[in-house]
Amino acid sequence: MNVNFNNRDPVYLQIVRYFKEKIAIGELEPGEEIPSRRELANQMKVNPNTAQRAYKEMEEQGLIYTEKNHPSKITTDQNILGQVRNELLVEAVDVFVTSVRSINVPVEELLDLVRVKYTANDDKEA
Amino acid sequence: MIEVKAVEKKFGRKKILKGVSFTANKGEITCLIGINGVGKTTILNAIMALTPINKGEILIDGKPLDKHSFEKITFIPDAITMLPQMTIAEAMEFMKDFYTCWNQERATELLGFFRLNQSDRISSLSKGNTAKVNLLLGLALDVDYVLMDEPFSGIDMFSREEIANVFTSHLIENRGVIITTHEVGDIEHLIDKVVLLDNGLVTKEFSAEEARENEGKSVIDVMREVYHR
Amino acid sequence: MKNYLKLVNFEFNRVAKLFVVLLGITLVIQMVGVIVLSKEYLNMANEKIYEDMMTKIEFLENFGKMNFSQIVRSIWFFGPIGLCAAGVGFYIFLIWYRDWVGKNTFIYRLLMLPTTRLNIFYAKITNILILTFGLVAFQLIIMPIEMLVMKGMVPTEFRSDMGLNKIIAVMPELSIIIPRSLIELILYYGAGVLAVAILFTAILMERSFKWKGILVGLLYSAIAVVFMILPLLLQEFVFNGFFYPIELLGIEIVMGVMVLTASVWLSRFLLMKKITV
Repeated sequence: MNVNFNNRDPVYLQIVRYFKEKIAIGELEPGEEIPSRRELANQMKVNPNTAQRAYKEMEEQGLIYTEKNHPSKITTDQNILGQVRNELLVEAVDVFVTSVRSINVPVEELLDLVRVKYTANDDKEA
Repeated sequence: MIEVKAVEKKFGRKKILKGVSFTANKGEITCLIGINGVGKTTILNAIMALTPINKGEILIDGKPLDKHSFEKITFIPDAITMLPQMTIAEAMEFMKDFYTCWNQERATELLGFFRLNQSDRISSLSKGNTAKVNLLLGLALDVDYVLMDEPFSGIDMFSREEIANVFTSHLIENRGVIITTHEVGDIEHLIDKVVLLDNGLVTKEFSAEEARENEGKSVIDVMREVYHR
Repeated sequence: MKNYLKLVNFEFNRVAKLFVVLLGITLVIQMVGVIVLSKEYLNMANEKIYEDMMTKIEFLENFGKMNFSQIVRSIWFFGPIGLCAAGVGFYIFLIWYRDWVGKNTFIYRLLMLPTTRLNIFYAKITNILILTFGLVAFQLIIMPIEMLVMKGMVPTEFRSDMGLNKIIAVMPELSIIIPRSLIELILYYGAGVLAVAILFTAILMERSFKWKGILVGLLYSAIAVVFMILPLLLQEFVFNGFFYPIELLGIEIVMGVMVLTASVWLSRFLLMKKITV
């Protein structure tokens, strides 16, 4: 679990985001146990208080749940899981749109280019 | 809680501390940051009654320090505080002899954690390993507060990493920690609270995570602002 | 109390090597002295008797019998004693300063022990006493052995044996380290402890206030010394021998206890409030 944190965003939110990404790509499965706060702090090399805060945040957002005396687990709530994927996707597209808008390109041309690039990348990976 | 209240300290005619005040909470890592010579070490020494102060007051959980406090608070200076001719085992024996809060189990764990060899003589250790032994002797005490003076300075990269790992582990958890440093760099994510010192005064005391959350600033950003550099 | 004893033991272990070296030097030099001086005497006797054809009686009349006090008075014997005394005197300072010098400043550890800091003072002064008594005891043990060596080398008719008491009688300086009465013991060793306590206080002043501390320390030592000799001066010049010697001794002991108490109290204050690492 090697994360490169930036120094300007709250570390706990960066941890939350890291988890969301893992959930979205299916690396963390619904109901899967996640490390304890202490383990997480140790693996991510952050302050245990920060790890604690990240877990609290994730619990509040319903991303994880904790039953008494058990390790925390990834939620099985399909609704939330769907949201996570959606949220990340929208966020990424937002970023893309913002940067591309400055070039002032017609949307059709842009979509064609996206299609070409996206599938070309797929081929390369495959 | 450690409370440093309006502490003043003179060396000869030179006033090093001109009324330093800050607090450090249990369960948090508080980092004193300032350039060399700003009086960081002096503050730690003063907390441990290793040097007198001219004015002000220092309280540990609401009380001034006395001999019993040394079972509650410990200080890890930047040089090892054991006789160089002792082996690591002898140094641990010494600590066990005098401190009722010495936790041998944890000491053994730390030996493993740092991959140190008990029978090695302290004088024969590398800089990094000496720093680790120094840390071990302090951290194996079951104390509420740990003060560390520049735990990362002057040692190799791998030792730094190993020592940084201590801060994210149960060895530090729930304790109040004060560390000093002149470069915050690679420990930004480890610390809870920052106390910036300049010219004998605390110029800013803030939570690292709050600065990031509310202002989108890193610790270094805040330092730049404060020091106008 | 337990911590005090632990500290005494710890401090002793730190000086043990130096202690053993001093013992070794004393034993070797004194023993060599005994052998060399006995040999010299025997060589001289041989020369006079066999070469100059002196009779035994003539020789003994002219040169006298060999006795142990001749050895005691030689540099071979009191040299090592002086060396030991200098060693202990030096160590009175070293026992403190060694904790401050070098990279591994042990004073941090000592001052952070969960025990009263005065125990450090007591443990160090106890160690000076242990060193002193240890050296004296060793001297008392090896002296009979040295006498035996002399006896083995010099034939009976050429030597006159003398006991320890008689040796001290011819060499009164020895009685300082080997007192012959309880009062002497209290006097000499009491004065010794007092002197060390005063020095320790002065050292702690220097450690607390640096350059200014040296002045204050010297001043304190001077005041303590004046205080101690004041009764003697008054007796001599003001009261013209008004007090009996035993009374004067009593007064001196009271003064000594007062100065000792002041030194301990001051040292405690310095260690707790003023000392700096």
